[in-house]
Amino acid sequence: MFIKKNIKVFLLIFLIVLLAGVLRFWQLGIVPPSPNWDEAALGYNAYSLLQTGKDEYGKVFPIILQSFGDYKPALYSYIAIPSVFVFGLNTFAVRLPSAILGIITVFAVYFLVNELFRRRDIALISSFLLAISPWHIQFSRVAFEANLGLALNVFGVLFFLKGLKRPWFLVLSAISFGFSLHAYQSEKVFVPLFVLSLCVIYFSALAALQKKYLALAFTVGILVSFPLVFSLVTDSNTLGRAKGVSVFNEQSVEFSNNVIELEHNKETGDIIGQVLNNRRVFYANRIVENYLSHWDINWLLRGDIARHHAPEMGLIYIWEFPFILIGIYMLLFSKFNKRTKYFIFFWFLLAPIPASITTGVPHAVRTLNFLPTWQIFTALGLISAMGLVSSIPARGWSAFGGKYKALSIKYFKFLIIIFIFLLFIFNFLYYLNQYFVQQNYFASHDWQYGYKQAVEKTTELSSEYEKIVVANDGYFDQSYIFYLFFLKYPPEKYQREVKIDIANRSFEKYEFRPIDWEKDKELKNTLFVGMPKSFPQDTDALYEISFIDKKPAIKIVGTE
Amino acid sequence: MNNKIALISIIIVAFVLRFFQLGSNPPALTWDEVAMGYNAYSLGIDGKDEHGNFLPFAYIESFGDFKPPVYTYLDIIPIKIFGLTPFAVRFPSAFLGVGTVFLTYFLTRRIFYNSNRKELYALSSALVLALSPWHVMLSRAAFEANAATFFLVVGIWAFIAAVSDRRWLLVLSAVSFAISLYTFNSSRITAPLLAILLAVIFYRQLFAMKKQVIVALFVGIVLTAPLVPFLLSDKASIRFQEVNIFTDLIPLERSNQEIVNDENAIWSKILHNRRLVYGFFFIEHYFDHFNPRFLFISGDINPKFSIREVGQLYLWDLPFFLVGAFVLFRKREGKWYIVPLWLLIGIIPAAIARETPHALRIESALPTFQILVGYGLVTVAFFLRSAVTKKSFRRVLLAFIFFALLGNIFYFQYHYWKHYPRRYAQDWQYGYKESIEYVNQVKDQYETIYVSEVLERAYIYYLFYLQVPPQEFRETVKLRRDIFGLIDVEGFDKYVFSRSVESEPVKDDALYINKPDRVPKNVRILKTFYMPDGTIKLVAYVY
Repeated sequence: MFIKKNIKVFLLIFLIVLLAGVLRFWQLGIVPPSPNWDEAALGYNAYSLLQTGKDEYGKVFPIILQSFGDYKPALYSYIAIPSVFVFGLNTFAVRLPSAILGIITVFAVYFLVNELFRRRDIALISSFLLAISPWHIQFSRVAFEANLGLALNVFGVLFFLKGLKRPWFLVLSAISFGFSLHAYQSEKVFVPLFVLSLCVIYFSALAALQKKYLALAFTVGILVSFPLVFSLVTDSNTLGRAKGVSVFNEQSVEFSNNVIELEHNKETGDIIGQVLNNRRVFYANRIVENYLSHWDINWLLRGDIARHHAPEMGLIYIWEFPFILIGIYMLLFSKFNKRTKYFIFFWFLLAPIPASITTGVPHAVRTLNFLPTWQIFTALGLISAMGLVSSIPARGWSAFGGKYKALSIKYFKFLIIIFIFLLFIFNFLYYLNQYFVQQNYFASHDWQYGYKQAVEKTTELSSEYEKIVVANDGYFDQSYIFYLFFLKYPPEKYQREVKIDIANRSFEKYEFRPIDWEKDKELKNTLFVGMPKSFPQDTDALYEISFIDKKPAIKIVGTE
Repeated sequence: MNNKIALISIIIVAFVLRFFQLGSNPPALTWDEVAMGYNAYSLGIDGKDEHGNFLPFAYIESFGDFKPPVYTYLDIIPIKIFGLTPFAVRFPSAFLGVGTVFLTYFLTRRIFYNSNRKELYALSSALVLALSPWHVMLSRAAFEANAATFFLVVGIWAFIAAVSDRRWLLVLSAVSFAISLYTFNSSRITAPLLAILLAVIFYRQLFAMKKQVIVALFVGIVLTAPLVPFLLSDKASIRFQEVNIFTDLIPLERSNQEIVNDENAIWSKILHNRRLVYGFFFIEHYFDHFNPRFLFISGDINPKFSIREVGQLYLWDLPFFLVGAFVLFRKREGKWYIVPLWLLIGIIPAAIARETPHALRIESALPTFQILVGYGLVTVAFFLRSAVTKKSFRRVLLAFIFFALLGNIFYFQYHYWKHYPRRYAQDWQYGYKESIEYVNQVKDQYETIYVSEVLERAYIYYLFYLQVPPQEFRETVKLRRDIFGLIDVEGFDKYVFSRSVESEPVKDDALYINKPDRVPKNVRILKTFYMPDGTIKLVAYVY
C-alpha cells in the first residue's frame, strides 16, 4: 500500500517535471526571438571567461561584470560556461542554464512544500502550478540572473528545513544563500532579510541543534559571500547600478512638484509644510507606494514591460486569482503548522522589498522571489475549494422545495468542477498561443530582434569596406555586445583591440557610435548600420531588416 | 447613552469637515456646479429651467450633456434661503454627506444585528466615513454622485429594516432607489442590481410580506416609468457611447492580428474571440479600482476627487481594511455578505467606462470600504485586549494606532487647506468669478462685452454671478445646436461668447475679456485677473 502510493507520487512528480521540461525546452533559443542585451552580455562574458579566464574588460575571474556599467553579478556567466563550451556561443546555449534551473526549481518546490506542510497534495499541486506558471516560464526561458537567484533561494530554504533534522544540510543551505548573493542584485537585499526571518521563525529548532553545525554553516556562509562584500566595500563603482535605479535618484514630475511645494513653504514660512514636503517624507512615501504597487491585481494579470510577460497575459493565470484569495484565507485561518504560516507570509511580504527602493515598479524580475508563494496560495485555494464543492451532500440540496431536480446542487457540483477545468484548459491554451506564437510577432522589438541578420549581412559585405560604423543610440544602445556575440569575436583579440571612449567603442574595423549622417555621408568606403531614423528617409539602403511585425528595424547603408 | 453622545460627536465632526468654508474651498465652482445652481435658481423663480422647459423630470439639458435632475431640484430651497452662492449650490451635497454618515451608523447596526459588538462596529464605521478623504472631498462640492450615494444607502438600510421588523419601510426603500435613478448616471446600473440582489437574498422574508411588496413594487414602477423613454432615446446614449470601453477598437484590431498569426485557424477564432477580449477588458477596468495606489497612496488622478497626496482611503486604513475583509468572512456575523456584494456591485458601472479608476463613479460602493475599515479597527482593538495582557503595553499599542490615524487625518486636512486651493485652482475652473464681478461694476459703460470661450462655457458663469433673471436670459439668448443636438450659447443680452475674442470687431464701446496670451498689442488693459498661484488667468481690455 505504502509503496503503491509512493509510486503514484513519483509518477506524478515525474510527469510534472516532464511538463516543466517541455515548456522550458520547446523552441528554447527561438522564442523569445532574440537575446536581449543582458543575455548577449552574459553569453559573451561566459565565452570570454571560457577562452581567456577574463571578462570583456580583461578582468581576471571577476565576481562582478562591469558590462554596460550596470555591474552584473557574474555567477550566471560562470554557470553558462559549460553550455557555451558544448553548444557554442548562441542564444540556446546562453539560455540553457536558466531553463535547467527552472526545471530543477519545479522539482525542488515539491520537496519544499512537502517539508512545510507535510501534505503531498499541496506539494504536487504547487509544483505543477510552478511548472505551468507564466511568470516562471518567462524567466526560465531567457538568461536572466533572477532565475538563478530564485533557484538558489528555493534550495537554500529546502536545505535549511532539512537541516533542522539533519544539521549538516545547514551548510548546504548557507552555500546556496551565499551563492544567491552572487546571482542577482535583488538578492543582496532579499537574502539577508530572508535568512534572518528563517532564523527568527525557526529559532527554537535551531537552538536545539549542535552548535558546531551552526558555527560551520555560519562560517561557510560568510566565506562564500565574502568576495562580494569585499568588492562592494572596496570598489564604489559596483553600487552604480543600485544608485542608478534607486528611488533616491528619482527625477519625476512628482518629485519636482514636491520641490516646488517645499520652496513655497519656505517662502511663506510654513514650518509644518516644510516637514511634510521634506525630501525624506517624499522618499518614504514613494517606497511605501512602490511596495504596495506589487499588489495591483492588474499587474498580476497584465504584467509590466513587454519583456516580462507574454503578450496579453500577465504573471498569473486569471483563473488562479480567486483561488489565491481563498488560499490566503485558508492559510490565515486553517490549522497548519504555525511556523509554516509565518514563514510563507514572511516570504510573501519580503519579496517586493528590493524592488520597492527602485524606480520602474512594479517589476516582475526584481520580485521573482515571490515565486512560489502565489502557487502555494493557489494550491491551498484549489484544494479547499474542491473540498467545499465535494462536501456538498450527494443527494443534493435542491432548490424550490425539491420540485425541480434539474436545479439540484448534485448536478451543480459537477458543473462547477467541469467549468473550472474548462476555464483552466482554455486559459492554458490561450497562454501557450500567446507565448509561443504571438510573442515573437508582437514583442520582437522589445527583444531587440534583428541583430543576427544585421551581423550576417555586415560580415558578408565587410570585405568591400574599410570601416564599419554601427549606431549605438536609441534602441541601438550597447549594439557592440550583439556584434561580439553574433560574430563570436575572439575575446582575447577584443580585449587587446578595443578602444573605449565613454559610450563609444571601436575594434578592428568596427566603430560603435551615433550616426550623424550630414557629416558621415562624406566618409569614404564605409558601411553604416543603424536605425531607419539614423538616415534621411530617401537614403538608399543596401539592406533592410524588419521586426517580425514588419515594422522597419535596421537599415544598412554604404558609401563609396 | 454613551453611544448617543458618541454618535452625536461623530455627526458634529462630519458636519464641521463638510461645512467649514464650504463656499471657498474647493476654490471655485465647476461649470457643472454652476449649471445646477443656475437651473435651480431658474426653477425656483418660475418653475422652468434655463431654456424654459417646465419642470423637467427626465433630464436637465445643460451644455454637452443631459444631467439627471434631482440635484438641481435639491438646490432650489438652499438657493432660496442663502441666495445664488457657492455655499448654497454645495449645500445639498454636504448635507446629504452628513446624512450618509448618520445613516451608516444605523445601516451597520442592521447588518451586524446579531453581534454583541454591533454598536462599536456601527460607531467606528460612521466615524471612518466621517473622516474619510474620499467622502469629505465628494461632499464638499455639488456632486450628483454624493447625493445618489445617500439615496442608495437609504434604500439599502430601509430594505434591510423592512425585512427585519419594520415592514412598511420597504416602500421608502423603493422610493429611494427610484430617486437615485434620477440622481446620477451610474446609479442607473447600481440601483437595479442592488435591488435585485437584496430581493434574491431576502426572497423568503419578502414572500411573508406580500402586501408591502406589492405596494413597494407599484410605487417603484410608477416612479421609474417616466424615465424609461429617455433612457431608450439617443440623448441618453450619447454620453455612454463616448465613455464606454466596448467602442474602443484597439483590442479588436489586435485580436484580428492574432488570428492572422495563427493562420486563421478555427480554434484561434475561438481563442481570440472578441467577446472574450472585451470581457477581459472589462475585468481589467474593474480591477483598476483595487489598485493600491488609487486606494491608499495618491487617489484618483482627477484632483477634484482627491488631493493627490492621500489615497481615496488613508494609508493607515490599509491594515484595518485587510483585517476587516478577512475577519468579516471568518466570523460571518449577521448579514455580513451584504458588504462585499455591495462593494463588488458598486464598481460595475465605472468598469464599463474608459477612465479607470474613477472615484466618483464608484461612490455607490461607499460606505462599504469604510464599514470594512471600521470593522477591522474594532476587531484589532478586541484582539489587542485579549492577546496583550500587559495593560501598559496595550495602551502604548492603542495610542500608536490612534496617533498614526490622527497623523494621516492631519496630513490630509493640512494639504487640503494649505496647498490644495492654490495648486488645483485650475481644475476647479477658477478665475471666472473675479472677472465677472469686475464686469458687473463696469457693464453699464459698454454696449457689448466680448468674453473668451477658450475657457469653455463662460455664459453659465455670467448667468450665475450676475444673477441674470431667467426670463431675461431666455428672451435675449442666441443659441446654436451642433450636429449632435447639443446646445451652444453664443450670447445673451450684451454679452457675446467667442472662441477668438481677438478677431471680434473692434468697437469703441465694447469691453473684451480674453486669455492673456491672446490679447492684441494695441489695446488698453483695464484689469488683470490672477489665479491663486499668481499666474494670470484673464485680462479685461478696450481698444
